Amino acid sequence: MVAAVQHPNIKLLTYSEVEEVSGYIGNFEVAIRQKARYVDHSICTGCGTCWEKCPTRVNSEYNLGMGIRKAIYISFPQAVPNKPLIDRENCRWFTSGKCGVCKKVCQAGAVDYDQQDELLSVKVGAIVMATGYDLFNWQQAYGEYGYGRFPDVITGLQFERMSNASGPTEGKIIRPSDGAEPKDVVFIKCVGSRDITKGKEYCSRTCCMYTAKHAHQVLEKIPDSRAFIFYMDVRTPGKAYEEFYQRTLHEGANYIRGRVSKIYRSGSKLMVRGADTLLGVPVEVEADLVVLATAMGPAAGSDKIAQKVGFSIDKDGFFQEAHPKLRPMETNTAGVFLAGACQGPKDIPDTVAQASGAAVKVCALLSKSELATDPMISQVNESICSGCLACKAVCPYKAIEEKSISERVGGKAVERTVASVNMGLCQGCGSCTVACLPGALNLKGFTNEQLLAEVDAICL
Amino acid sequence: MSVTENWEPKIIGFCCNWCSYAGADLAGVSRMSYPANLRVLRVPCSSRVNPQFILRAFQRGADAVLVSG
Amino acid sequence: MKRTGVFICWCGSNIGGVVDIPAALEEVSKFPGVAYATDYKYMCSEPGQEKIINAIKEHKLDRVVVSACSPRLHENTFRKAIQRAGLNPYMLEIANIREHCSWVHQNDKEKATLKAIDLIRRAVAKAGKIEPLYESSISVKKRVLVIGGGIAGMQAALDVAEAGYEVVLVEREGTVGGKMAMLDKTFPTLDCSA
Ligand SMILES: Cc1cc2nc3c(=O)[nH]c(=O)nc-3n(C[C@H](O)[C@H](O)[C@H](O)COP(=O)(O)OP(=O)(O)OC[C@H]3O[C@@H](n4cnc5c(N)ncnc54)[C@H](O)[C@@H]3O)c2cc1C
Repeated sequence: MVAAVQHPNIKLLTYSEVEEVSGYIGNFEVAIRQKARYVDHSICTGCGTCWEKCPTRVNSEYNLGMGIRKAIYISFPQAVPNKPLIDRENCRWFTSGKCGVCKKVCQAGAVDYDQQDELLSVKVGAIVMATGYDLFNWQQAYGEYGYGRFPDVITGLQFERMSNASGPTEGKIIRPSDGAEPKDVVFIKCVGSRDITKGKEYCSRTCCMYTAKHAHQVLEKIPDSRAFIFYMDVRTPGKAYEEFYQRTLHEGANYIRGRVSKIYRSGSKLMVRGADTLLGVPVEVEADLVVLATAMGPAAGSDKIAQKVGFSIDKDGFFQEAHPKLRPMETNTAGVFLAGACQGPKDIPDTVAQASGAAVKVCALLSKSELATDPMISQVNESICSGCLACKAVCPYKAIEEKSISERVGGKAVERTVASVNMGLCQGCGSCTVACLPGALNLKGFTNEQLLAEVDAICL
Repeated sequence: MSVTENWEPKIIGFCCNWCSYAGADLAGVSRMSYPANLRVLRVPCSSRVNPQFILRAFQRGADAVLVSG
Repeated sequence: MKRTGVFICWCGSNIGGVVDIPAALEEVSKFPGVAYATDYKYMCSEPGQEKIINAIKEHKLDRVVVSACSPRLHENTFRKAIQRAGLNPYMLEIANIREHCSWVHQNDKEKATLKAIDLIRRAVAKAGKIEPLYESSISVKKRVLVIGGGIAGMQAALDVAEAGYEVVLVEREGTVGGKMAMLDKTFPTLDCSA
């Protein structure tokens, strides 16, 4: 992470969002909003006094509800960049106009309550989409797992935060309800994945492996612990993956093939009721902690960013690649590439491979000083264009622009508007040619004359 | 109008290069079979099909026109 | 007067085993504008392309119809071939007599042959109306925008930056790393995720 921030060729804009994209391959224009952080990062030293002294305690999003942060905060101790921002919604200065503690204690004078959002505009030749994924909202779909009512039913990502040494419990695996160390941990796989009725049809590809990892961590970190895994199939198609799973099995993880039909409370414990379909018997397992391997879905807001940048999404909302086998890191929009889980569920090795692949595609593009454009695009015959711009309304690529030309009519110069085709944007679909009543637009390579001649010949 | 027994309609298809034309290719690659009375013209998009082309096909004796995209 | 050359490919037996190519060739030679027509086992092969190039020169052809597989497969191959013979690469039209004909009508050779002739007639008619086309060029801004600062975005940004191009990396949260930074150890090696 540090390498990306420190590289002289990389300009990192955190807390920023892309607002608008226009242009085309080789020549995109991008408007970016850098949100106000109320801390001047150019002078902040990241010493941490401000967040130590801040009196407002807020539930930490980063720790998925399992820890607290302050209103001026960094997400975790090793965060990059290692400088804080103020959460306006919860900061007392912004909500009540009182407090100002962080500003008072900051030796560097970096706290600036008057900071404004900054709007930047950049020109780029290519765009890489790497917006990743978010986890499926199981609380809304799985009544049988308690709809999120039991604090000791958590997601795999919450488990990660707990077992992370710089997480809210400093690496200790606990029961959120009472902080006790769990002995019996039940894992449920395919929560939302491979479940057409409640979730998604697809397999999320990472859960078999991270559940094996989690079971291993339970068995390693907690003496006398037991790990039970309810599964449909175990899928380990990766280098050294099957071996990893086998190791977890040998460490004593109990794999039970079957679905869980109900979780209910029984004293301080949870009862997990399911089926063992290999033995053909119902089973009930007493659990201190239940960990759900929830499905991966596209990141929140990815449909909107896809629309802004101008490419399509697939039936599940992931970004659509140009070809599933031959062009997996390109979109159908020239100059826009894909990397990572935004294109579909992926683990880190696959993500890194795709990202490096996308980088090569970008380098191949940027290494050219000029690009040849497909000549099969629309063409305007200005002398008969009436300037009605019906073509502009139907063009899906925003490739038609208005142009002013001057003509001599009866010895006088007259200005008038005509349509003009932007070569970089036109994708040669030809819809404009059909919308054009005077017939001023024609598509090179598929002209009206050519198509009529074809119809005549084939009907003969 | 009476239809004689072995009459076969002459069908003209306008197929989009990126989807249904490619689909017709795939039918071939998969060795599917369909009646030989469909003749496909390639267009860059179904939106390229001017109604004029369809009328012209009928004028020249097509019995049916398929626009697919 | 337009001088169209028609080149019918057998594609081994893929086309030749269904379509009666000698019969088609005879018909096609009579189409208006066709100055030369021939056939060959594999038109896309090196000798097949040479055949086209030589015929263009010898018969002063100014446009070419290749009757073979789908244009989605070899249109570019043949464009480059005719360019080597000095023609504008867009003076080419393909008749798809494999995917759209021989492969889907294997059980009716007679109708397949008639259809192939129709498909070639269409291509010859279009070829009669085509004109040279010229690619133009657009400039390229040597900078990339990466949206999302997880492991995917950081890896792509670093690789492009290492190649010497400028990168703008946009992350909507306050810190980079995405989900990976939230993880403890990562499979399959169990190393840390920082
Ligand atoms: C519980 C769990 C454990 C896992 N364990 C492992 C493991 O051990 N090994 C392994 O290989 N894989 C593991 N994975 C998978 C791993 O998390 C993913 O492979 C990896 O994070 C994908 O990286 P990414 O960069 O594509 O997406 P993300 O990590 O999701 O990063 C996307 C980034 O883009 C940002 N972003 C999103 N939208 C926008 C926007 N509109 N504008 C700007 N920025 C935006 C996000 O804030 C985020 O920083 C695990 C997954 C889970 C759920």
